[in-house]
Amino acid sequence: MELEGPPLEALTRRLAECPADFMAEPRVGALGQVAVAAVVADLLRDLGGPPLTHAQRDSFQPADAKRYRNWLQLVLIAAWLLHDPWFQSQTRFGAAAGDFLTGGLAQISALTPAASFVSDPDRREELVRLVLREFGLRPAGESLAQAQDRLTTLSTVERQRVIAAAQKAEERARAVRAAMEKQAAEEAAAQYSRE
Amino acid sequence: MNDPAAVSLDAARYPWLTADAAALLTWLHETDTAPRFNHHCGDRLTAEALARVKTFEQQLQTTPPGWSPAARPAWLPDFAAHCLATVPFYRQYGLPPANFADLPTCTRADLSHAPWAFVPDNAPLDDLIVYNTSGTTGHPLDILSHPEAASKYLPLLRAALVTRGVTLTLKELGQAGGRDPATGRLRVALVLVCFQRRTYTYASVSAYLGGAGFAKLNLNPDDWRDPADRARFLDACAPEVFTGDPLAFAELARLPLRHRPQALISTAMTLLPALRAELEAHFGCPVIDLYAMNEAGPIAAATPTGYALLQPQLYVEVLDAAGRPCAPDARGEVVLTGGFNPFLPLLRYRTGDYARLAYVGGQPRLLDLEGRPPVVFVGLAGQPINNIDVSGALKRFALPQYRLHQAADAALTLTVTPHTAVALAEVRAALLGLFGADQALTIVESDPAVAPAGKVIQYTREAA
Repeated sequence: MELEGPPLEALTRRLAECPADFMAEPRVGALGQVAVAAVVADLLRDLGGPPLTHAQRDSFQPADAKRYRNWLQLVLIAAWLLHDPWFQSQTRFGAAAGDFLTGGLAQISALTPAASFVSDPDRREELVRLVLREFGLRPAGESLAQAQDRLTTLSTVERQRVIAAAQKAEERARAVRAAMEKQAAEEAAAQYSRE
Repeated sequence: MNDPAAVSLDAARYPWLTADAAALLTWLHETDTAPRFNHHCGDRLTAEALARVKTFEQQLQTTPPGWSPAARPAWLPDFAAHCLATVPFYRQYGLPPANFADLPTCTRADLSHAPWAFVPDNAPLDDLIVYNTSGTTGHPLDILSHPEAASKYLPLLRAALVTRGVTLTLKELGQAGGRDPATGRLRVALVLVCFQRRTYTYASVSAYLGGAGFAKLNLNPDDWRDPADRARFLDACAPEVFTGDPLAFAELARLPLRHRPQALISTAMTLLPALRAELEAHFGCPVIDLYAMNEAGPIAAATPTGYALLQPQLYVEVLDAAGRPCAPDARGEVVLTGGFNPFLPLLRYRTGDYARLAYVGGQPRLLDLEGRPPVVFVGLAGQPINNIDVSGALKRFALPQYRLHQAADAALTLTVTPHTAVALAEVRAALLGLFGADQALTIVESDPAVAPAGKVIQYTREAA
């Protein structure tokens, strides 16, 4: 975050205006429309980076839609953000963008719907700041300390929300399992046909 | 648990129990010819749950199941959004896609791994019940359910009867205080017959049926004080409807039963047309082949134009291996969305069963329904033979149960439950007609009373 990047507002506005093409359904197996690997390959080229490796390409073409659909949606949204003319004009962020899209979004996509990073102002700002940090940048007009504090605040609030949601989900799963165990000691209700 | 052979009037089992129903339950346990019941099971239905079952019944009567070929059901988007918002397993998918067909599918393996993850966040857990099922894979599966869902089977069974023109009134089915005119006792509406080495058996009464009786019985003589009591007890119960599987019905037909039911409803195993015709002639009533599974309850009933859907809030797709909707009339995996189990809302659930989806009179029907993925056998001349063709070759034989396996060396083994009316030489000739006259074929007869219980995998082939 040593270097000054573009203004924060320009990038959050870009996210808010994410076009339908980048919000469309990512292709997983035979389903969906958008081939995420192709979008990322185009992006890396436009950012002056090396072509996608086979491993990277494969990672954007998973077979399990249940686990990867939300992550791929976030990759598309982040790809739209990274297509900003400011990043393209630098012609040096291709490799970092490849790393970020491959491994930098899994955690935040695990419990937050990807579309929130377009519709929710805090999530837009968080994604922009994450990208800038990944590239060693801070928003134009901010000091290093300001940029770090703000990202920490955003991430902490979101992390706490995610942790709370995860705890709640685990408590609920535990309660259901306990109810299952309790019921297993009793009999079920009558079944009127065989299955 | 208290002595299963003795009657139990536990309030948790029967929150609504009336004196009449208690008397019937006592009779079911204590009459001289009763089997040795090994379990207790009530409907556990509270007044509120009973009201919801009756509302469901009204919905069945006023809202025909199905949809037009041109449009998915109107309730589908809201149902999918609700699943993605409130069900932990589906929440990982993210937000609902614009196109329903872009939703991921889920499988029995997902459900088996974490059944609790399919319970909506807002579902009260007080009345949760668990059914354990082994299915055809042998992998155990816990199905979380609710007494209300269990009792909703009854109006769905009635809906299945209607597809074959059996329009039993509620009174005839035992509801609204239907009584046996000879004894004045509440009637036994329904008996589920099994024929296997061991299974839970119990006698019960149903609030939905106005206190009428229900019994689950094993026709295995070992379950009875005297094997001859089987026919005596069933004649004394005189149920309007028998449910069961083809094996049990074949055994039922061997008993000297005087009682003639209004219908038989067959589930769990393939019912070959010849056996159905034989049973219909023997009992003088329709035999309805019901497509049902623990995960979704009764789904569809066989009619002359295919399997007709029964549930208004169950959307049925047929998908290819990649998850794409099959072309009309193309065969694929049956995939379900919706259902009536509050602890298991299904969202694109792959059943492991295969069929074609066609529209008859503008309404969906399942055709060529077979459990398990398609198996392609190889004939003597190297010709591929689809399992559908094997079913076609065997459909004129009244085999209660069979399975066909092809070994790596192409030799066939057909394991059948014997039936007096079936000449195995003719079965052999039918298969050799399909595979080739010199095809190696061994026919093995199995005894259902000593074989493991449950479904079988009908067709298997070892990799060459």
